[in-house]
Amino acid sequence: MSALPRPTLRQLVHGFVVLAQKTVQTRLTYRLATLVSLLASVASYGVFLLVWLAIYRENPRPGPLSRDEMLAYLIAAFLVNSLLITSVELRFGHRLRMGLIAGDLLRPLGFLMFQMAQGVGDVLANLVYVLPLFAAGYGFAGSAILPASAAAAALTLLSVALGFLIAFGVSYLIVQAAFVLQSGYGIMFLRASLHQVFSGLSAPLVMFPPTLRGAAECLPFHHEIETPARIWLGLVPLEDAPRLLAWQAAWGVGLIVAGELIFSAVMRRHQIQGG
Amino acid sequence: MRFYFVFYRTALKAIAEYRVDFAVGVITAVAMQLAALAFYWIVFTRAPALGGWSPHEVLLLFGFTALVLAVSELLFNGIWWLPYYVQDGQLDRLLVYPVNSLFFVLMSRPELHALGNLTAGAVTLGIAWSALSPPTWALLLVPWWVGCGAVVYTGVLVLVGALMLRVVGPWATHLFTAHQMLNTSRYPLSVYPGWLRTLVLYVLPFGAVIFVPADFLRGHGSLLGAVLWPPLAALGTALAAKRAWDVALRGYQSTGS
Repeated sequence: MSALPRPTLRQLVHGFVVLAQKTVQTRLTYRLATLVSLLASVASYGVFLLVWLAIYRENPRPGPLSRDEMLAYLIAAFLVNSLLITSVELRFGHRLRMGLIAGDLLRPLGFLMFQMAQGVGDVLANLVYVLPLFAAGYGFAGSAILPASAAAAALTLLSVALGFLIAFGVSYLIVQAAFVLQSGYGIMFLRASLHQVFSGLSAPLVMFPPTLRGAAECLPFHHEIETPARIWLGLVPLEDAPRLLAWQAAWGVGLIVAGELIFSAVMRRHQIQGG
Repeated sequence: MRFYFVFYRTALKAIAEYRVDFAVGVITAVAMQLAALAFYWIVFTRAPALGGWSPHEVLLLFGFTALVLAVSELLFNGIWWLPYYVQDGQLDRLLVYPVNSLFFVLMSRPELHALGNLTAGAVTLGIAWSALSPPTWALLLVPWWVGCGAVVYTGVLVLVGALMLRVVGPWATHLFTAHQMLNTSRYPLSVYPGWLRTLVLYVLPFGAVIFVPADFLRGHGSLLGAVLWPPLAALGTALAAKRAWDVALRGYQSTGS
């Protein structure tokens, strides 16, 4: 029996784009469900926002950021987070449980690119919901939510793309853990906890107590949310941005390479379940 | 009742088979509580009090919230599996059993990682209790408050689940709306605007079962309110949830394969 011909680069790119498009279509099919889950995020984040407003009432200068800067930061962080949320682990967990993952492992696109294409599709679908949220944020915080400059806006786009690489890299590691544990449910929530604390979603790192800030700076999560939000709002001098982008790239590539290495090791002993 | 007991015990045994999942689940539950406490830490390094509540008084709210979550997860967690039951067609099978379908769904998937939330909640509440020193006899009321809280939380989850029964989404994310609303009870109601206070006291009454008892324990609220309000809130939510479930099932259309 002869081996199947390897797909060309053109075919791989085409496959990636089509899969991302199909993911967008699938996500948009469940419009109401997505809107409701977005409502859950708004409700959850609203608590952080209201608590911070109460802190500024108790102590008008609780840290280096003014009330308006803090408000703009929290909205920007929420928007970046809403944009970068993907269903990579949930989708994988469902397919693992049902035994459908066997087919995914045989796709010519490769397992990594198969997952990444769907992650890109998720982000593109998120854009549909994030743009109206940005308009709502503008209504709430005014021009403070706009980018500090054209250069800051351009650098933020790059930073968000690199933030996606980190978010996907972490998800891909969770997928590997799910292969081993036969369920990614627990690990997924563990990631959510770490993300909530260390990403800067609930507060920029300058507002953290020193110990917590030290821990956050050693982890990749703050480069997912805090770095793009700070660049957008001009809380980072433009000359510091390339250094932050380099850190983002290093974390993103490092996490994905680590995920691929674990994937190779895991595949030697994995058994398909379900069906 | 015997049937439900046997069914629940069997479901527990099935879950206990997956020991690694159990260990990861417990660690995760504790991590999620620690994540919430990390924000608490940030808050109280930036302000001496929040909405008139001291750090230890706010810790009471954290403890109660974790315990309510734990009891609901341990006894009535099956609602989180409703979207999957609908997608896979399993709900059709559950509906033909000669039992109360709502109880059957609720008890079908206990979560042992609730033990992590239970531990975290008990420790947090213990620390707050020892710092605030409320009357010792009030300890007897804690199971009463936590039980009522678990009924309210589960009831709100059922309400959301029933409302969404016809909107068959790919995941259970819509139930997180109710879960996130529970998180409002970790902070004093005084930090929220009036409409949100009304919402969590009277409509989705997490405040009635968590904030009201905690307010009494810190020496502000009345004993009568702390004893009577939680069961009234629990009863109202349970009746509304049952009604919503029955109405949703009447319009339910199978989607499974």
